[in-house]
Amino acid sequence: MSSAVAGWEQFSKKKTATWLLAIAVALGAIAMLGSTGIVFALLLALMLTGMPISIALGLTVLTFLFFFANVPTEAVAMKLFTGIEKFEIMAIPFFILAGNFLTHGGVAKRMINFATSMVGHWHGGLALAGVMACALFAAVSGSSPATVVAIGSVMLPAMVRAGFPKRFGAGVITTSGSLGILIPPSIPMVIYCVATNSSVGAMFMGGVVPGLMLATLLGAVSWWRARKNNYPRMQKATWGERAKAFRESVWGLLLIVIVLGGIYSGLFTPTEAAAMSAVYAFVIAVFVYRDVPFKKIPKVLLDSASMSAMLLYIITNAVLFSFLMTHEQIPQLMADWIIGHHLGIVPFLLVTNVLLLLAGNVMEPSSIILILAPILFPVAMQLGIDPIHFGVLITVNMEVGMCHPPVGLNLYVASGITKMGISELTVAVWPWLMAMLGFMLLVTYVPIISLWLPHALGY
Amino acid sequence: MMKYLDHLEEIIITFLIGAATFIIAVAVAHRYLSGVPIPGLQDWLLTINMSWAQELCIYMFVWMAKFGAAYGVRSGIHVGVDVLVTRMPDSWRKTTVVIAILGGALFTGLIGTLGAKFVWENGMHYAVLNKLGMAVGELYEGPVTPDLEWPTWIIYSAVPLGSYLMCFRFLQVGLGFLRTGELPHHDHTHVDGVEEMPVLDSTEALEEYEQHKFEKDGKDGGAK
Repeated sequence: MSSAVAGWEQFSKKKTATWLLAIAVALGAIAMLGSTGIVFALLLALMLTGMPISIALGLTVLTFLFFFANVPTEAVAMKLFTGIEKFEIMAIPFFILAGNFLTHGGVAKRMINFATSMVGHWHGGLALAGVMACALFAAVSGSSPATVVAIGSVMLPAMVRAGFPKRFGAGVITTSGSLGILIPPSIPMVIYCVATNSSVGAMFMGGVVPGLMLATLLGAVSWWRARKNNYPRMQKATWGERAKAFRESVWGLLLIVIVLGGIYSGLFTPTEAAAMSAVYAFVIAVFVYRDVPFKKIPKVLLDSASMSAMLLYIITNAVLFSFLMTHEQIPQLMADWIIGHHLGIVPFLLVTNVLLLLAGNVMEPSSIILILAPILFPVAMQLGIDPIHFGVLITVNMEVGMCHPPVGLNLYVASGITKMGISELTVAVWPWLMAMLGFMLLVTYVPIISLWLPHALGY
Repeated sequence: MMKYLDHLEEIIITFLIGAATFIIAVAVAHRYLSGVPIPGLQDWLLTINMSWAQELCIYMFVWMAKFGAAYGVRSGIHVGVDVLVTRMPDSWRKTTVVIAILGGALFTGLIGTLGAKFVWENGMHYAVLNKLGMAVGELYEGPVTPDLEWPTWIIYSAVPLGSYLMCFRFLQVGLGFLRTGELPHHDHTHVDGVEEMPVLDSTEALEEYEQHKFEKDGKDGGAK
């Protein structure tokens, strides 16, 4: 469901008809491939009407079962009930709740102050601080678009005032805002683990090193460009100021420590860690920072509940969909085909990269992972790819997809707050986007980056 | 009437997420505190069995998910692929949106019926007849949950109830769209406590200055 978005080009009837015809031909061609093709053509057609992704998945499954296959409806009904009945999945609502308590302008400002006091005096000081603040805020809030808004609306005017070109600021914030899904706790990672039965703890640890590396890389690009163009630097903060800024932001940052420390030390299961982080975030937001007044608590709960319900609803239907996939033996056929043609790991990963980037243009990360992971994962396992490495590379792909023109989610959000057009923003983000693409390839083909920490910690 | 239904829906899901968080937090605290040797307290804690917490949390979230999904239709939180639809001419867009909404209503209606049948056959039929004191015959009593030992058909009735409610919400949204041409829209980028950003860069500020610099003079009847 959608409404016309301001600034989107509206096609004429003739152009729309041409597009629809082209899409119909393409889908028809896919449907010719047999029952597998019909499933995907149907799914794509339903999704393009703009109906919720969850509904499109569910309708595809029901239609297919009704017309083509002989699966007892009892089995489907059973899946409907048991689809989300796993304690691991319940980490998702808890993390969303924790994030929503801390997704507040006040928390963003504290992180910005801390980041500015630490790195503000280097070349491109405010830009570096922007990257660092995005990384910190994204880690506690868990939402990329919200990070772009919360950090961007403070940082961008400050940068323009300090004399940075607007494009530079927009480029930094748009790309850095996507860091959140790689730095734990991350909801897309939990979803990947649920979809593939991987360990949430190992996955979180796997995200730490790539997350820090990517933040450093984005910072390095900003530093290099700022030095070249001689952008302004801030005055060096004293250690007293740094300590004060740290003391103010540390309550938010401790959330990451609770989650990672709690899971690693074995104090909590991942779901319990998520619940504890929700309670912690509640206490911090309401009693320590006092950003959230008592009156607003039900609103935060309601928003988190409906957000989680939306994700859980997609999960339920994605479980149905992957049940259909397995029933039709689609992953198995794909794996056999790839192994039969001696294609090996590199082409498979390349195809995965391209597929995920394309999907990243039309869907948000959780839905992509839920639809594609059950199909790609069995193939990856047959090829001997490590499940954690595969998960991390999917996550990095999702990040790039969010900043990727023509229709990355972060680009649209940034366009909304900067009032810059998409094409102008595309030019603005490209140095960082190129760095991210390079990093994506690095993570894809060098497994040790994602696997070193989990292995060192004994996962 | 509709207002009460809306409120009830909101209260149910708000309560469920809050209570589930509380229960898990208490269960974890209980597990660690009962390991601390404080006389009296430890003995008392050991008499409490919290092993049902995990199961209850799951069921609360299942209910939250089903009713939250219905609330989500009303608040427009369900994400879809809108690259094509937003680019269509208005009249075409209208048709497509109606098709999408009807698809949603169809799916949720089907699932509701499927779920109702399942629930009826897996214990509800037995329970109803039993309650009424009628002969249950060959009917199957239905399974119970492992820890709480509640009949599963009660837990699973979330599916038909939630789905029918969701179906109703889709029809409601569809009717609203036909009447006003507007859809509920959820702002995924809203952040509290962020001031509306003053979008002013130096050139825009200069332009604004150029536009307004004569106004004051004009009023005062100054420079001409």
